[in-house]
Amino acid sequence: MIQHFPVLAVMGMFLGAFLIEIFGSKNAAVRNAISFITFTVVAGLVYALVKPIIIDGGVIAYWMGNWEPVAGYAIGIGYEVDALGLVFAIIAITAFWISNLYSFGYMKGEHHLGHYYTLFMMLCGSILGFCMTGDLFNMYIMVEIMTFSAVALTGFITEKDGALEAALKYLVLCSLGSGFILTGIALIYLQCHTLNIAQLASMLSGGLTPTTLLAFALTVAGFGVKSFMVPFHTPLADAHAVAPSPISMVLSGVVTKAGVYGMIRCIYIMFRAMDLTQMQIIITAFGAVTMFVGVSMALAQHDFKRLLAFHSISQVGYIITAAGLGTALGLTGGIFHAMNHMLFKGLLFLAAGAVLHQTGGVTNLDKLGGLSKRMPHTTVCFLFGAAAISGLPPFNGFASKWLIYQAAYTKAAETGNFYYLIITITALVVSVMTLASFVKIAQAVFFGQLSEENKDVKEAPAIMLVPMYILAALCLLTGIFYRPIAADFILPAVRSAVDVVKYIDVMMGEGYAAAAGVYNMAVSNVMVSSWSPIVYLILFVTVFIAAFIVILGSKSDRGATVEVDPKNAMKHSNFFSGEEAVYSHVGGSDMLWGYKYDFKPYYRVMEELHSGRVTDYCNMVVIATAIIVVFMFMFMR
Amino acid sequence: MTILRYLFYILVFPGALFTIAVGLFMAGIDRKVIAHMQKRVGPPLRQPMYDFFKLLGKETIIPAKANRAAFLAAPVLSFVSLCFIMLFIPIFGFTAINGAADMIVILYLVTIPGAALIIGGASSGSPFASIGISREMVTMMAYELPFVLVLLTVAKKVGGDQLVFNLSLVSDYQAVNGSLLSHWSMIPAALAMLLVIPAEVGTQPFDVAEAENEICEGPLVEYSGSPLALFKLSINMKMIIMTGLFTSMFLGGIRTGFVALDALLFVIICIAVMLVSITTIHAVTARLKIEHLFKFYWTVVAGLALVSTILVWIGM
Amino acid sequence: MTIFNYIACILLIVLGLYAVCTQKNLLKTIIGLSIIDYGVNLLIVSTGFNDGGSVPIYQMSDLLNGVSAQFFVDPVPQALTLTSIVIGACVNAMSLAIVVMIKKKYGSINVDDVRRLRG
Repeated sequence: MIQHFPVLAVMGMFLGAFLIEIFGSKNAAVRNAISFITFTVVAGLVYALVKPIIIDGGVIAYWMGNWEPVAGYAIGIGYEVDALGLVFAIIAITAFWISNLYSFGYMKGEHHLGHYYTLFMMLCGSILGFCMTGDLFNMYIMVEIMTFSAVALTGFITEKDGALEAALKYLVLCSLGSGFILTGIALIYLQCHTLNIAQLASMLSGGLTPTTLLAFALTVAGFGVKSFMVPFHTPLADAHAVAPSPISMVLSGVVTKAGVYGMIRCIYIMFRAMDLTQMQIIITAFGAVTMFVGVSMALAQHDFKRLLAFHSISQVGYIITAAGLGTALGLTGGIFHAMNHMLFKGLLFLAAGAVLHQTGGVTNLDKLGGLSKRMPHTTVCFLFGAAAISGLPPFNGFASKWLIYQAAYTKAAETGNFYYLIITITALVVSVMTLASFVKIAQAVFFGQLSEENKDVKEAPAIMLVPMYILAALCLLTGIFYRPIAADFILPAVRSAVDVVKYIDVMMGEGYAAAAGVYNMAVSNVMVSSWSPIVYLILFVTVFIAAFIVILGSKSDRGATVEVDPKNAMKHSNFFSGEEAVYSHVGGSDMLWGYKYDFKPYYRVMEELHSGRVTDYCNMVVIATAIIVVFMFMFMR
Repeated sequence: MTILRYLFYILVFPGALFTIAVGLFMAGIDRKVIAHMQKRVGPPLRQPMYDFFKLLGKETIIPAKANRAAFLAAPVLSFVSLCFIMLFIPIFGFTAINGAADMIVILYLVTIPGAALIIGGASSGSPFASIGISREMVTMMAYELPFVLVLLTVAKKVGGDQLVFNLSLVSDYQAVNGSLLSHWSMIPAALAMLLVIPAEVGTQPFDVAEAENEICEGPLVEYSGSPLALFKLSINMKMIIMTGLFTSMFLGGIRTGFVALDALLFVIICIAVMLVSITTIHAVTARLKIEHLFKFYWTVVAGLALVSTILVWIGM
Repeated sequence: MTIFNYIACILLIVLGLYAVCTQKNLLKTIIGLSIIDYGVNLLIVSTGFNDGGSVPIYQMSDLLNGVSAQFFVDPVPQALTLTSIVIGACVNAMSLAIVVMIKKKYGSINVDDVRRLRG
């Protein structure tokens, strides 16, 4: 029974989408009920797969229509769920469930909400299908459904400034990426005449011919476009700024991870090229550039959500760098960071959405300010998310970033290559620049002085606060208990990513891999960690409470405010130089001035490159793909 | 029993009481020596302690625009996290909590007091504080790069083929091979670290974040009473912590066998380091502007540390 | 001779990329995307070609009699191509709809004018 669950989950999602289209256009209660029930049922199905796959270490192979392989040749479409795919599917369904809860409150009052939930469920179903499929063309189909739904949802609120433009850029650039993936698939089919990933993994074991090398390069580039590395990152920045906030959360938390999952599946399992040094060098190079460009562009933005989008790009750079190191520790850090990124970036986008919703659409950092007095819950959740993304202990961002640093410098020490040391240094410096950026947002949006227009802003409704608190609690808990999570939840995924023999054998029958001469890559070191946050946290909290009590017990004039009486203002005028208090809020553009001054030449170049024209962005995509193809042909013959 | 032992470590030695006492003492020596360098008499050696207790007795005024919770919690957060950092720094062979954190974790823990200062300043709602926290953040960005390079250099030097980040292992290596400062390839890194220390502690010429006469002490402008006492105390505690970090990384080869004697020698050497890096530079320089500070750290200081990294990497 | 197929599809893909990367009019960009799709579809269909093969409709007895692999062309790429054509049609429809609304909102479909989100 349990082997039907993957297909049931995907099909259930699409069924829910169609049900909403039929029944849910008019009545909000019916619509919310259908979507909540569908998401809960599908989440239950996906979580029920945790026991057999992750805890027991099995792999579920499911042939659609029972078309088993004939004479050692795969002729049907196969769904194969191993721990790697299941971890990404769990990340996806959790994010979608929370975002669904949030969008009940956020999207209230918009029109065409029936279409919104339909597209939302199709997006979820396609990502679940993408993570759980074992057939190459099925991956392409799911990626296409994902792209269409994401584009339509990006441009959903057409009255918003720039929504259509962002949707068009997203569509054009992702179609280019899909074109590359499809060309790669066609070339693979030309060479191997099969589309099943397990069979391909066994057939491509004999080394890379020019055809498959070109296919490899194009597939990696195509999935790179989907995961929005630099220089494919430009539509993501635009899309996040204009999409509705639950969609922004899902776009940054899940859609980018789908691209990373595609890359990992291709490189680790299908082509098994991860132990080649040149492969590691180029992937980590892309990752490092992504990290740095993402965070440096973020420090110069004026729009709240566009800034968060650039941070998404930077964190995806961390994941790609960690996965590209080629060691088990690196992949653990990468997948763990993928899960944590969904949690804390989702939290940040939901907080941004709450601010946007309550202030009536203001996201310009120069126009907000002082909102912590009016929206205290949102401020607390935002600070949790900001601490998590900056990597402050004991949140989850610190745990996964620490694993990534360990992986990077262990690799540097093992290979003696100075290049990996530069990667480590980049990662560490980008982390502090991330903290700088969130200080900027905290000051510009939540602290500082409250402006006249925002004086009557109310706190976000409870239906929007509950998902934020859930995510904040998860951020803290996954940070404190990171060791059991990394060992029991992430490590099976890493093991399944390198255990190609099992992947092939489960799908095609026992002994297939051995007959085709497939062996497993050597897996270098696994978890090396001694950071034990529980002890630290307990002692910290105890002493903190004690100190707080001691301090607050001291003499302080609590509760007595002295208002300046306008009639008697002359009495206090020597404190104010005889003038009234002026509104003098230091906004987002005024922060971090010294850094921006020193980096002016760099920013001039970068702003020219991010010109906003579709043709410029397509040029960047084509040039980067050409670099990947040429690099692979030069170094990996 | 272990709980009592850990509480002793946290509260007395080398945690709160030890750090507070030594930190205040070092701050007193600092002010006295600067005064004599500038041909003045200067305050008595116990002046910082008098300041601390005076501030504790004053009234805490919270501005109406401020966010109360963050305003009051920030100094406590800063103080408590600093008490914890001292536990991880080896005092010539004695480490209170061994193996629980390595240098990268300490790097992140040292960021927390800076972040607490920033939160405190942001929550007070004053524009002076906002400019102050912006400068504080840029200062933190500036000194992280050379700091990271120095840590990686020390790790490679001690570990050889694998990078060793555990500070007590660094200390043990120095007990066997002589202090790291005696290896000439580490001297640029030591110089870089000596220049990072005043930026972390926040003294001239790198105290642009808390410029007294320019932005009315920046993030601390609206603080008074016991929160202000805690913040000033945090600055003084950072002196012993940063110089302690330098001592354990570069000058850690002494072993006398008695913890008390070790601690005494440790404090004396930390005072010597402080006199070189914090006091002398404070007495003879003016304040740098923020863009000059950033450029200085990312070119000169990072360059020094990078020279050391390359020298150590190629095996010298 | 399938070599001409492959040359044609490479030409189509390159032409499509050229149109997407250099043309200033948004409609030409979308036509470029379609040309890329046609090229890739041609590539997929050409992979299944067998010289002298016929339509892939057969009797089970023919198959069991052990006829050679050149008996019919490969049916799988034809299925892939159909799917890909449908996807191409969807991309076309969606992008043209967005372009129509951009014209209504922005007043022009020149790439240099549709760039309010930048930096």
